[in-house]
Amino acid sequence: MIVDDSTTMLMSLRNSLEIANFTVLSASDGLIALGKLNTGPKPDLIITDINMPNMGGIEFIGKARALPGFRFMPILVLTTESQQSSRDEAKKLGATGWLVKPVGGADLIKVIKQVLPGA
Amino acid sequence: MSMLKSSRWLVGGALLALVLGRFLPEASLSFVDVFLGRPGDAWLLLAVALLGGWLWQQSQSKSRHSLAPQDGPTQRQQPAAAQQRALVETLLSTHLSLEQVIDRKLLEVVADTEGSATSIIQEVRALYDSSHKLVAYLDSSGLRGSTMENDISDCVAFLLDLGKFVHQLPDKMKRDMESVQSVVKEINDLSELVSSVQAIAMQSHLLAINAAIEGSHAGPAGAAFRVVATEMRTLASNSSDVASRINVGLARARNVVANTMADSMSESSEQLQTVSAAGDSILRLQENFEDMRQFYKIRFSVITKYNEDLLQEIAEVLGHIQYQDVVSQCIQRIRVATAQRNAFFENAVQQYGQDDAELAQLPPQLLAILNKFVSEEDKHLHSARHDDDAGSEQKIELF
Repeated sequence: MIVDDSTTMLMSLRNSLEIANFTVLSASDGLIALGKLNTGPKPDLIITDINMPNMGGIEFIGKARALPGFRFMPILVLTTESQQSSRDEAKKLGATGWLVKPVGGADLIKVIKQVLPGA
Repeated sequence: MSMLKSSRWLVGGALLALVLGRFLPEASLSFVDVFLGRPGDAWLLLAVALLGGWLWQQSQSKSRHSLAPQDGPTQRQQPAAAQQRALVETLLSTHLSLEQVIDRKLLEVVADTEGSATSIIQEVRALYDSSHKLVAYLDSSGLRGSTMENDISDCVAFLLDLGKFVHQLPDKMKRDMESVQSVVKEINDLSELVSSVQAIAMQSHLLAINAAIEGSHAGPAGAAFRVVATEMRTLASNSSDVASRINVGLARARNVVANTMADSMSESSEQLQTVSAAGDSILRLQENFEDMRQFYKIRFSVITKYNEDLLQEIAEVLGHIQYQDVVSQCIQRIRVATAQRNAFFENAVQQYGQDDAELAQLPPQLLAILNKFVSEEDKHLHSARHDDDAGSEQKIELF
């Protein structure tokens, strides 16, 4: 599942992942993503932005981790921010990794395969 | 302009009323004349009324003109600070209008780049789909080629066996010829035996004749002897006939074999050359096939490699397009800072000239806006650069 308020990011990520044979769910903010996690199919991995309307990525990570069955699911942060303090906050809330935009298709798939062995 | 027109009408009307009252006293307005008591007085009254109206209008106009010069001194008497504030307010208003236009433009730019980015993504995806189809086609062609290659390999193996057989054929033919020659020799040997049989038959015949003669000399006692002699002569004659027939048969067989061998020997030389050439052709065909197989295998590999590179590049292009979002967010942060700065200036203009203590707080407030913007931008230093090695922080970090 990819969570980002930018149409460009959603399209870019969707295509990069579909090219690598992943099935992609998307949400334009944390609130919508939480709704989908509650009602829709359970994804294998979440990639989320930080700065989004309605519910940002940091809050979303915290709430997603609290859901049953999502405690150990890999959650990657993909953002324009690179400051260490933000990384530490995300890590504290349970993020699996931090990626600074933009990320090339090959790098993204490499990271996903690292956190999702066998994908 | 309208006032000038009405003045003319009033004056003109009054003059007309005086003329009518003087020269046409019997004309209309009789009921007014009756009321006033004398003809023409109504016209006089009308002229006076019109002139009165004109005079009143003139006085009103003067009154307005007299007020106008009094405003000049009032403005001039305004304090210099108020004039400066009005000027600053005007400047701020114009500045904010300009900022609104710039802000709209920035939003349009963001929307345009987003539109372009999505179009590029769609085009790139279409390119990927085409490339993917090509890879699938190449894979399918490779599979079909493998099947064809196996079939051809089987055929070539068969042809190679055939070639080996063809190469061995001359030796086999030679061995067959030698066998035939040994048969001819055997026939010749049999012919000699037949000659011996014929000689024996001749001697038996002569012996039977002599026995018959001696039997006649013996008289009645030699009757049995003459019978045996007759039988011996018959046997000799039969043996000679059989030997002759065998000899004829052997001669015929020898002729057939000799003719066949002659024909075979004359043809086999050319046939052996043809067979040998066919064997060489089969070997060359096998070599050419192998070369062709390698040729197409290498080309398939090269095309597949280029296509895989293309797919990888497409994936990278999709990554680079994410810069649109990076730039878009940067513009958004600039818009936020600009809005804060504009709000600050509006507030500053309102406070201008009112409270010196509050005015003193303005510079630190503006500095706070600056520091906040710089701090916010510091968070995004890495993503603002296009080269991956520029940032001090890790671009990808797994916790």
